[in-house]
Amino acid sequence: MRSGLLLKLALLLAIFGILSSGITGYYAYTANRAMLVSATQSDLLTAASGVNRRIVQWEDEAADDALLLSRLVQVSVVINQRNGPEAKRERDELAQAFAAMLALHPEYLQVRLIGAADNGLELVRVDSQSGLTLRVDGGNLQEKGHFPYVFETLALPAGQIYQSSIEVNHERASHDPEGRPGLMVATPLPRSDGQPGGLLVINLDLERLLGQLRRDLPKDYQLYLANRWGDFLVHPDLAQTFGFDKGRRVLMQDSFAATKALFERKQNQLALSGLDDPQQAAGQVMAFVRHPLGRGNRDDFIVTGLVQPLDTAVAGAAPLGQRIIHMVLAFSVIAIMLAVVFARAMLRPINTLAQAASSFSTTQLQQALPVERNDEIGVLARNFDRMQRQINSHMASLYDNQRELSYLAHHDSLTGLANRALFFQRLEQLLEQAQRNASQFAVLFVDLDHFKQINDQHGHAIGDQVLQIVARRLLHAVRGNDMVARMGGDEYLILLQGSFTTDGLSELLSKLSLSIGEPMVVEGKKLEVGASIGYSLYPRDGTTAEQLVNQADHAMYHVKAIQRDGHTRQLPYN
Amino acid sequence: MISLLCCQSVMAKDVLRVLAWPGYADPDVVHDFEQRYKASVEVTFVDSDEALWARMHAAGGPRFDVVAANTAEMQRYHAAGLLLPLNPSLIPNLQRQLPRFRNRAAIPGLQQQGQLYAVPYTYSTMGIIYDKRQFARPPDSMNVLWDARYRHKVLDFNSGQHNFSFAALASGIAQPFQLDTAQQAAMVKRLIDLRRNLLTFYSLPEEATELFIRHKVAVMFGNYGTQQLNSLRQAGADVGYAIPREGVLAWLDCWAMTRSARQAQLAQQWINYMLEPAVSALLPIRQGLANTLSASTDLPPGSRVLWLQPVENANQREALWQKIYSGDLPGSF
Repeated sequence: MRSGLLLKLALLLAIFGILSSGITGYYAYTANRAMLVSATQSDLLTAASGVNRRIVQWEDEAADDALLLSRLVQVSVVINQRNGPEAKRERDELAQAFAAMLALHPEYLQVRLIGAADNGLELVRVDSQSGLTLRVDGGNLQEKGHFPYVFETLALPAGQIYQSSIEVNHERASHDPEGRPGLMVATPLPRSDGQPGGLLVINLDLERLLGQLRRDLPKDYQLYLANRWGDFLVHPDLAQTFGFDKGRRVLMQDSFAATKALFERKQNQLALSGLDDPQQAAGQVMAFVRHPLGRGNRDDFIVTGLVQPLDTAVAGAAPLGQRIIHMVLAFSVIAIMLAVVFARAMLRPINTLAQAASSFSTTQLQQALPVERNDEIGVLARNFDRMQRQINSHMASLYDNQRELSYLAHHDSLTGLANRALFFQRLEQLLEQAQRNASQFAVLFVDLDHFKQINDQHGHAIGDQVLQIVARRLLHAVRGNDMVARMGGDEYLILLQGSFTTDGLSELLSKLSLSIGEPMVVEGKKLEVGASIGYSLYPRDGTTAEQLVNQADHAMYHVKAIQRDGHTRQLPYN
Repeated sequence: MISLLCCQSVMAKDVLRVLAWPGYADPDVVHDFEQRYKASVEVTFVDSDEALWARMHAAGGPRFDVVAANTAEMQRYHAAGLLLPLNPSLIPNLQRQLPRFRNRAAIPGLQQQGQLYAVPYTYSTMGIIYDKRQFARPPDSMNVLWDARYRHKVLDFNSGQHNFSFAALASGIAQPFQLDTAQQAAMVKRLIDLRRNLLTFYSLPEEATELFIRHKVAVMFGNYGTQQLNSLRQAGADVGYAIPREGVLAWLDCWAMTRSARQAQLAQQWINYMLEPAVSALLPIRQGLANTLSASTDLPPGSRVLWLQPVENANQREALWQKIYSGDLPGSF
């Protein structure tokens, strides 16, 4: 019962300890994962913005180069006197400058000067071909007036920059750019009369630039890029890119539904993770950033997306998770041990009380109780202690009463001697003892002579005092282990242990008679009383208490009869 | 319970495999068919002629019972022996079609050797879209695209095949899909002239809409037909749609039964079901496409329609087109 309570309490405390450490551990683990994912999201957002900034930076560099080339004096000569003979030399010089620019910048695939006249006929054109520069001239020059990068640029004021959308270049015979994704950066070239004269165009190699970007990004990042309608320009699966160019649309908002808001211009960036949004980003962390492309009022933009597997994003949480598991296990063990110790400490005073109660119920012995405690157990202990004391005191008075009753039942109230009952009890014991030991003893029957006269003459009070004096004298006359009892009236019985010779016994009887017969002074009256004493011997005169007492009684009457005849003799009755 | 299982297993035997374009077999339409014919339908969608071609040429034959494709593609599939003839008596809804589509001999690709192979389902013309504010009267000829009054206010679709065909149409050539060498050379010149007259070529319908609005374009070749018209109107353009007197190019998508069809009757029930008025009526509502049962206001009766056909040499047209598109000078061809 007590061990059951201990088990229950320990179990409860242990479960509480394990649960609280487990919940704390779990919370720490999930919070850590959430933090990691959130950090990854902001990393991805930053990286995606970085990708956009890089693209803008390339465009800006190309724009600066276009502006630089546009300021060459030869450009103005060619634009203003295109058909003059002197322009031939300037075109050659420009071609050299364009070639030098291409050689300097491997990311440029083509540098051209295009005229506004003749349907946008190219005037000076240098292409890159397998890393080398190639001047295209004469009949191989093409009319480009129907391309947006031409008519859009011509519409711009001097010194402005046009940036095209990112597209696959389908301009035949353009050498390296042909069939590759790219974008054009162009600046208008006004004639000296202020009319549009032409434009300077640099063709940027997007593949090369994106290759650089990918190398700069962590390996597990997947890069996505879409144009303003959502068509993929960059996708880990090449077959998904430039779908519109092959007559089918592969859209970012179909692959990543959440990006719809970006294409509807409701948001500029968004980040998702499989942790918060398992439907849209199952097992992934992703960030998408919308970025305006080009300058001026054209509402063109790209959406850059970076996706990282959720597993690698939260990989950092795994060692912590392991550590948390170890910690939770360790704390659980500690919790179990503490629970046992604590439960024992809590139950110890209760056990003490329980033991005290059970031993008190059998032995009535009071044990030390934790009465000094200030708590509920202390109150219980103090109450219990008080109850024990009360019970003990009740028990003690009960014993006293019992003892007194027992004394009254076995003693004569007047003389304090044993009464008849106690005498017979003792006699039976002695009989048993004597039968076992083959020992002997004697029973004496004493009857006072003439006591009735004293009573009649001096009153009962005096008579009682005489009986008391006789009792004291008898007690005085026998040995400590002999017994003197009052049978009632003026009769006494004496039990003498040991074997006696007739002479020895006669001498003792004489001594008793003399002791009784000595004069006594009671309330100033000198009185004298005699006694007749009969005796019986065990085993000679009987083997039962009754036989022995009767024999002693008979002997006493015999003696009394002789004394009445004037002789005092103490003879055994035969 | 047992009867239910038994019915399902019976149904599982009647599976119709459909290869179609998105919008041709919407789930509710498919569900009704399944209920009516106690069959199960598996629909596979494709998004380009190339994807369709690849599916039809899968190793071991097409894994479909019925297929939807345009008349030019149907001719190629028939030539490759991929189609089975249809029984018109199993497709009573053919009687509901407009006279233009009931005259099947006039539409190349529907019949071969007098047998029916393809049933017209939906079509789109490639008419002229014009800005009503820049035209007092609707243009009535293809040649409006070459009109110098609209220089740099014209848009054309970036496509070799169609451009050669409609240039031939504009030039009064009787067989625009079958050009001889001389005609081809003449069309190159015509198309260079067109290139010099237009603003630019477009590829995507969104792109066309954007350019049309931004550059106040007067007229354009509507490769995407009436669908494109709707998107322009939504963007705020006040545009009209004209069918030129020379005739209009149009694609016509048809249903056909492949040679792998396991349930010929069920396949033809499907084709017949597609021509139910309630089913065909969904095309204009949901897809902005015309059906073959009711007349469209965008195609007046009697207009000359040239349903697309395979051209004399698609690769050659494409190669020439690439040069034209890239801006090659007339002397370099």
